[in-house]
Amino acid sequence: MKRLSALALTLFLVLPQIALAASPTGAEEEFDPSQEWELHAWIPIHIGPLDLSINKAVAYLLLGMVSTIGLGLFLMRARIGSTNEVGRRQAVGELVYDIAQTQIAEQGLPHKAIGRWFPYVASLFLFIWTVNMLGFVPLPLSDEKFTIFGIELPTLAVFAATSTLSVTIALALLTFVFTHVEGIRHNGPVKYFKSWIPDVPKGLYPLIVPLEILGQFMRLISLSVRLYANMLAGHMLILTFIGLIFLTSPWVFPASVILGTAFYLFEVLIVVSIQAFIFAALSAIYIGSAIEPEH
Amino acid sequence: MFNLLAQETASNVDAGKAIALALGIGLGSLGAGIGIGNIFGSMIQAVARQPELRGELTGIQWLGFALTEAVVFYGLIGGLLAFVLV
Repeated sequence: MKRLSALALTLFLVLPQIALAASPTGAEEEFDPSQEWELHAWIPIHIGPLDLSINKAVAYLLLGMVSTIGLGLFLMRARIGSTNEVGRRQAVGELVYDIAQTQIAEQGLPHKAIGRWFPYVASLFLFIWTVNMLGFVPLPLSDEKFTIFGIELPTLAVFAATSTLSVTIALALLTFVFTHVEGIRHNGPVKYFKSWIPDVPKGLYPLIVPLEILGQFMRLISLSVRLYANMLAGHMLILTFIGLIFLTSPWVFPASVILGTAFYLFEVLIVVSIQAFIFAALSAIYIGSAIEPEH
Repeated sequence: MFNLLAQETASNVDAGKAIALALGIGLGSLGAGIGIGNIFGSMIQAVARQPELRGELTGIQWLGFALTEAVVFYGLIGGLLAFVLV
């Protein structure tokens, strides 16, 4: 089994090399990592003014949705009640649940709101983690094509749906809308909007009130841009280090591969989980602070 | 002569943009580096004094890490925007 998976991994890593060798024009094109973020519509769908075309980011999102559901079922539905021993799957599932419960939901949400909002923050955590993680798996979902044995196939590429701003803004808008709806529902509109303004002398109001209103919208920007920029910078770094080999000379290969792998591991092991955690935790804190304002 | 000058100014503008972008991100990451060092240093001190609090502190530590680290990326996005738009 180990040998088989090692063979599969080697083939997986070697195949792109064949693709590179098979396309002699590829190396001569001007190298520009930002081409990876050009989204071409694969299946154009236009409903009135709405552009609902399926492009690379949408494909990655759909894939992320399917694999989140699969991961959830795989981890959480592990033989409940059939035996007393805790299987490895169930242990991992309980670890994820425990992080979502104690580190995310209980840190931000007040006690009475955990029952209603735990599913939201936990699925945010799992979904963003899965989409981020898919971004570091080379998948044949690229716009570039190569020909092998007469069949035209897309090349393997790394791309994360969360490294496009529209995806992260949509996720942040969910939190933004839920925050204010919950704040108004629990406190009433007048008391809720009054709770935005801190205790300051009345003379400072013209200065403080616009700042606080702006601050609410800055939350939206900071929440979305944090995730977007992290994933964008990570992918850009990895692509740049790979591209250095073609740009300069083959002698940079060792340094480039070592640095590229180091950044890849840093992204996969730390950044992916931290960003999913931070997005869910901040969503919980924002919703919690709207339900129970401090004053 | 004028042609040469025009070419030179164009390349000078590009070089200036590149230097500005690199300087901005470099200074931004300087600040974030100090901040992240502070966070992990304080975490080490806290765990050394009260090892039983490690579990509770880990969540706060990563929250602070991500909030501090994000500052670099605001700089990066601002720099890229300026680079593309100007």
